[in-house]
Amino acid sequence: MNPLKPFKAKIEDIKLEAEGVKTYTLSTGFQFTAEPGQFNMVGYPGVGEAPISLSGIMQNGCFKHTIKSVGRVTEFLDHFMAGDEVFFRGPYGKGWPIKKAEKKDLLIVAGGVGLAPLRPVVQLISGRRELFGEVSLICGARNENNMPFMDELKEWAEKISVYLTVDEAVQREKWQHHIGLVIDLFDRIKIRPERTISFICGPEIMMRFVCRGLMMRGLSQASLYVSLERRMKCGMAQCGHCQHSGFFVCQDGPVFSYKEVRGLPDGML
Amino acid sequence: MTGERTFQKFRRLISKKAFLLWLDSLKKDYKLIGPVKEGKHAVFKQADSSEELFLEYKTTMLSPGKLFLYKPKEELFRFKAGNKLDIEEVSPAVERQAIIGVHPCDVNAILYLDRTFLGEFKDPHYEARRKNTVIISLNCAQVSENCFCSSVGTGPFLHAVSGYDMLLTDFEDEYLVEIKSRKAEELFGLKGQGAGQDALKFKAEKEKSLKSKFKKAVNVLGLDNIFAENAEHPVWERTAEEKCLSCANCVMVCPTCFCYDVKDEMSLDLKTVTRYRCFDACQDMRFAEVHGGNFRQRRVARLRQFVTHKLNQTNQYGVLGTVGCGRCITWCPTGIDLTELSEELRSKK
Repeated sequence: MNPLKPFKAKIEDIKLEAEGVKTYTLSTGFQFTAEPGQFNMVGYPGVGEAPISLSGIMQNGCFKHTIKSVGRVTEFLDHFMAGDEVFFRGPYGKGWPIKKAEKKDLLIVAGGVGLAPLRPVVQLISGRRELFGEVSLICGARNENNMPFMDELKEWAEKISVYLTVDEAVQREKWQHHIGLVIDLFDRIKIRPERTISFICGPEIMMRFVCRGLMMRGLSQASLYVSLERRMKCGMAQCGHCQHSGFFVCQDGPVFSYKEVRGLPDGML
Repeated sequence: MTGERTFQKFRRLISKKAFLLWLDSLKKDYKLIGPVKEGKHAVFKQADSSEELFLEYKTTMLSPGKLFLYKPKEELFRFKAGNKLDIEEVSPAVERQAIIGVHPCDVNAILYLDRTFLGEFKDPHYEARRKNTVIISLNCAQVSENCFCSSVGTGPFLHAVSGYDMLLTDFEDEYLVEIKSRKAEELFGLKGQGAGQDALKFKAEKEKSLKSKFKKAVNVLGLDNIFAENAEHPVWERTAEEKCLSCANCVMVCPTCFCYDVKDEMSLDLKTVTRYRCFDACQDMRFAEVHGGNFRQRRVARLRQFVTHKLNQTNQYGVLGTVGCGRCITWCPTGIDLTELSEELRSKK
């Protein structure tokens, strides 16, 4: 069978997550499993496919994609309703090195929909909380309407420390969290560099400053992990679109150690 | 192909006439493909008989690997809209073909494409064609002005151990025929004269004399570091601004460039969507574009991507991306030469 052949998935549920962002719960006829941080190629005939990270991997074989409508494929998907079918193939790529975070402190930093591929990490940790040390989550967004998973953050805060920040608050009087950059919030966390590992996903320029900020606080490059976004057509190290200085982001990533990708040409890290 | 059972590797001296007759005998089971003269140039295409072959050719614009194994455009499947949407897969073609006269650079290029398309995910079209293709390589007898294979270890004589079927060396009236696969052992019935040490010595002398004729070379010593340390070298900006047109000729003629785009085409009655893939080029402005940015917006970044993918980035497959065929130099309309570029990178800024 051609590995580029997609499968049908039924949209079980659509939830409006944030401004222009929806979470689609999908089911297939077979048991779907994936690792947190992996992605699917999601699309529709006549429109094409786009790499979308998994924002939920459920026990019953269903999975979730949290999608911001910004391009040809994602804007098309925006018109779908529960009960409709989409096409997907995957999962692809290397996910977050969760094993490496066991018995350590974990600092998760997300910007906007960058939180989507980190949501399965938070869920997995919440279920096996005793395996990890201090776990903190810093989420940043343009404003409170752009912050995904707002309703779930409260629940997460029972298991891990959650810190929020926005560039600017639409309703300033109601916003009880920080206003400013995600790196401002490092001061609120007691970071023990020798036992901390960090998972970071967001715009590349944000990840650059988060990584540098954490290195200034004593973390090593090898303890920082970033998830990269690139254009992809295949997801299986063939089409070449995601090539980044010899890496295939789809296969060697999308999650990389910062040590591997820092300062590479044509990147912002 | 890998995983083959052992076979008798033998060498024979066969008269050219007899060899060509043997090629014609292959026609009943195989489509004959080889260099055919078209005007001043040679082109790899189907030949009706061995008489059409122009085996003394110097070089071709397009490599046989990217014409007959990895095709410029390949239909993948059709989505059919009826009561429900179904996917019809396009089965790989299984036509048997023999590609004759493939120069060492182009055989190495095919071995390179194998890494892309027969890796963790196998491309069924490429795999089927590869299995049904006999590759008869021909060691070069002359050096073209832009060849630099001898400096990157891919020619002018072929030293790859496997992945192709036969190797020919031109001995004036005869070919030294070397059998390199089980398939070739089974197909090749000509007895001829067994070739011993003398023939090998003669072959080695030919190779040595040919190697002295190269005009271009890439110094591969420490090349990885040279590239890593000189990503901002002014030669990139200068070449991009003064010469490069982003026309992607280099990519299209490159025998190892494997990038593709996946496209959907809808029928006029809106009932069928054909998904196909076709060659794509990193020189295209939108190649690395994502929402909110383009990782290679600037021409200089795209030029650097092509050149470094050929001469650096060996972490990808453990080999250089170039096979030294020189096509990108020949067909660059503004004369960008990656052997010169890599040399300039070594010079002071």
